[in-house]
Amino acid sequence: MAGGERGAGGGGGGGGGSNDSSSSVSGASESREHLFKVLVIGELGVGKTSIIKRYVHQLFSQHYRATIGVDFALKVLPWDSRTLVRLQLWDIAGQERFGNMTRVYYKEAVGAFVVFDVTRGSTFEAVSKWKHDLDSKVLLPNGSPIPAVLLANKCDQKKDSGPNASQMDQFCKDGGFVGWFETSAKDNINIDEAARFLVENILANLKAFPNEENDVGKLKLDSDTLKAESKFQCC
Amino acid sequence: MAVWKRESPSALSPVPESNHPAPSKRPSDSKRTTATTMHCNMVTSALPGCFQCPQPHFRQKGSKRLSNVMTSSDRRCVFPPKMADNLPSEFDVVVIGTGLPESIIAAACSRSGQRVLHVDSRNYYGGNWASFSFSGLLSWIKENQERTDPCEESSTWKDLILENEVGIPLNKVDQTIQNVEDFCYASKDSPEDVEEVGALSRMSTLAISSEVVEEVSITSEAEKETLPSEDQSLGSDSEEMHPKSVAQHDAECTAGKDGVETTSPGEKDCDSVIPNLLERENSESASMTEAADEPRKITYSQVVKEGRRFNIDLVSKLLYSRGLLIDLLIKSNVSRYAEFKNVTRILAFRDGRVEQVPCSRADVFNSKQLTMVEKRMLMRFLTFCLDFEQHPDEYQAQKECTFSDYLKTQKLTPNLQHFILHSIAMVSEVNCCTIDGLKATQRFLQCLGRYGNTPFLFPLYGQGEIPQCFCRMCAVFGGIYCLRHSVQCLVVDKETRRCKAIIDHFGQRISANYFVVEDSYFSEKICTRVSYRQISRAILITNGSILKSGSDQQISILTIPPMTLGQPPICLIELCSSAMTCMKDTYLVHLTCSSIKTAKEDLEPAVGQLFSEATEAESEGGGEGLKPQILWAVYFNMRDSSNINRASYDNLPSNVYVCSGPDGALGNDCAVKQAEAIFQEMFPQEEFCPPPPNPEDIIYDGDGSQPEDPGFGNLSEDKPETAPEKSTEEKEEPAEELHEEKGHN
Repeated sequence: MAGGERGAGGGGGGGGGSNDSSSSVSGASESREHLFKVLVIGELGVGKTSIIKRYVHQLFSQHYRATIGVDFALKVLPWDSRTLVRLQLWDIAGQERFGNMTRVYYKEAVGAFVVFDVTRGSTFEAVSKWKHDLDSKVLLPNGSPIPAVLLANKCDQKKDSGPNASQMDQFCKDGGFVGWFETSAKDNINIDEAARFLVENILANLKAFPNEENDVGKLKLDSDTLKAESKFQCC
Repeated sequence: MAVWKRESPSALSPVPESNHPAPSKRPSDSKRTTATTMHCNMVTSALPGCFQCPQPHFRQKGSKRLSNVMTSSDRRCVFPPKMADNLPSEFDVVVIGTGLPESIIAAACSRSGQRVLHVDSRNYYGGNWASFSFSGLLSWIKENQERTDPCEESSTWKDLILENEVGIPLNKVDQTIQNVEDFCYASKDSPEDVEEVGALSRMSTLAISSEVVEEVSITSEAEKETLPSEDQSLGSDSEEMHPKSVAQHDAECTAGKDGVETTSPGEKDCDSVIPNLLERENSESASMTEAADEPRKITYSQVVKEGRRFNIDLVSKLLYSRGLLIDLLIKSNVSRYAEFKNVTRILAFRDGRVEQVPCSRADVFNSKQLTMVEKRMLMRFLTFCLDFEQHPDEYQAQKECTFSDYLKTQKLTPNLQHFILHSIAMVSEVNCCTIDGLKATQRFLQCLGRYGNTPFLFPLYGQGEIPQCFCRMCAVFGGIYCLRHSVQCLVVDKETRRCKAIIDHFGQRISANYFVVEDSYFSEKICTRVSYRQISRAILITNGSILKSGSDQQISILTIPPMTLGQPPICLIELCSSAMTCMKDTYLVHLTCSSIKTAKEDLEPAVGQLFSEATEAESEGGGEGLKPQILWAVYFNMRDSSNINRASYDNLPSNVYVCSGPDGALGNDCAVKQAEAIFQEMFPQEEFCPPPPNPEDIIYDGDGSQPEDPGFGNLSEDKPETAPEKSTEEKEEPAEELHEEKGHN
């Protein structure tokens, strides 16, 4: 459970190959690979899918549909010379409109983006609701909330009426966000920066609370877990 | 078939941001318009109810904090904010109830391109398949104990149906749970001031989170500090000491007496409490000093405080490793949402003692409790059972007698007969015939070794995860979810006798072609000819395992044979904390049997044989201390409707499909079969839950080729059908590999 290497697991069954993300090895010389499940939440139409597509696929389109058939997008992020980070960005699916997320969605996530649309005040008001829902459904193994970054999206269309920077800082402090960014999926502003910032926080958590090796005996029902143990008759 | 092809494009276009109702494809008749307008008027007041939380809470807590930030700069914001958009009024399939069969059907329909609306009148997923945190379970108990009689059905829907229509009203109150009795045996050192850390008391989802954050950080500190002492207790001898020292400690602990006296059934001072951080810190520092050289004594307030570590299932089931549910999870790739643990021990209860049953070949040979002769006998018999059909001469003569009598004629000691009958075949002593017993034994053996040394898997975080996994799958393919959304009635066309719509609690009419309804939603009127069975359930939180062994992290299943003839056998499943269902140093014990009387009457004798109540241990000075102590317990009866034939409901339209609640069996085959049968009846041409494409194979069309509707395009005809098709083909291969590997085992 800890750290998330195992956490989100199985990038789509047999095909993805993201199962191979070997957990962090503490030996200094070895290269490390992390798989992090990151949630992208916020009201309908704030640009969650746009942000993911911009970040993962370097695409932007005005014409995204509601998110169909996609659980998460995978971004491979070479972190430093010895560390590779695989980010699973989980978009919220058809439940989003009415806010009834399954626990499956939140389970074992290690970080989150909470997105609002600077052009629509109501989406900012919903931020606290989303953050609370998040904290009530998922915790780090040590019991603390997962790091969440607030994204003020569509900043390319910003008017002057929104909260100013110091108000945002205070809001983040009060609301338990680790930080905030003004982003634009359209103009590709600050999205990479926000992701790096979140990953820094996730890695810091991992360092502070290393894996407890609580994972012994956990099974994913993928092909690779169908290990041929001796069955009764075949001996 | 194109994976992405959706028959009705409009399902994919999100509702426009404004409060206007979704554009209807059909020319709207006058009645229809009225209904829509009505919904529109209700939006501001009613929609927050769509959410998990009532709006007053939000106003109190949320608005204050938000206004700090917002007032000066943005006065345009009015509360409550718009939180949900209008629900579309047209779907292909409406599914009512979020239990396992309904969720599988919803996923299958959504996967095959249907527009699915999935609603539940409760505020949680799963219905009687749900699992709860401790505080969640307490609210559930309260709800079911305080339930008032089925109230006057609201009749507002009557004004909303047309002349040529008739309404079938649905139940508002769930009546499937009865005789709920809960008991607290753990000492309540500070009963008035504890609350689950970060409690999602259902009503307060909107509350601002800073409070929660503080609470959480306190616990995490406490956890860090108690860690060393827990390490100490890992030694094997301290483990054996565990129950005794707890008992002694209990006797010393005067605070415990409070707990004793306040254990009247139905007592519930625990779920309406207000957090008091100061008190909590006090009690925590106290427990830390205690933990210095003794195993932790668990108090009620600790259980409450760590309540989120509990995931307590209303039904207790396991997955047969070659059962239908495992196959479906793998085939549909829904398995990616879940993780499992092997059940590690099969136990037997004989002559008042709990022992481990050797069932794999390695177990048999390593067993210390069996003699060499017994080992050979058992091996010979089990090997025969694996392909008993090939040796008809061995059982033909006794085909008609009971399996238990048959076992007596085999070369097996009474000990082995007991193991095979109760723990391996898990069949009744009195009315299971030889063939069925052999089949049950064979099934058990065939499931061995696929994932481990027992035939069973348990989902981490509880069985309640499984319906949610299918719901997520449904949602990923566009299904829309509304909890706390009740349905007033089904609307049936008088002429065609088909159901054409539902009317929800807002009075919105939602039309569809197919309706799947969990049977607890049916009112008594249409169930007059239906009689139900009942399941007796007990859930215990205990401080130790029923069979101590080298590891304290065991998941065990035990069949308790009937103590007197005519009683049903009881299935007991004991879960440890690493199954993510209970807090550290506790065990979650589920007991299940078919009901004769109330759950407590059916199960308490067995509970008494295996466990002691904290009170007993105190008075007897630890004499009973070898048995694990019960910290908290609840008993209840659950309705088992799995045997009800659809024909016994009066006047159901043919396009209304009925799902039952959980059955009493250990596995999940019943629910899977039901779901698949209903899906095939609805869509005979469609494949049932084929694997979804790999997310990495999905190609986004970012070219913006869609002409109109800026913001959210409809799914137009230029969908990249080729790409997804290609991806399904690619999927085929790993799936086949998987299959081969299965066969290879």
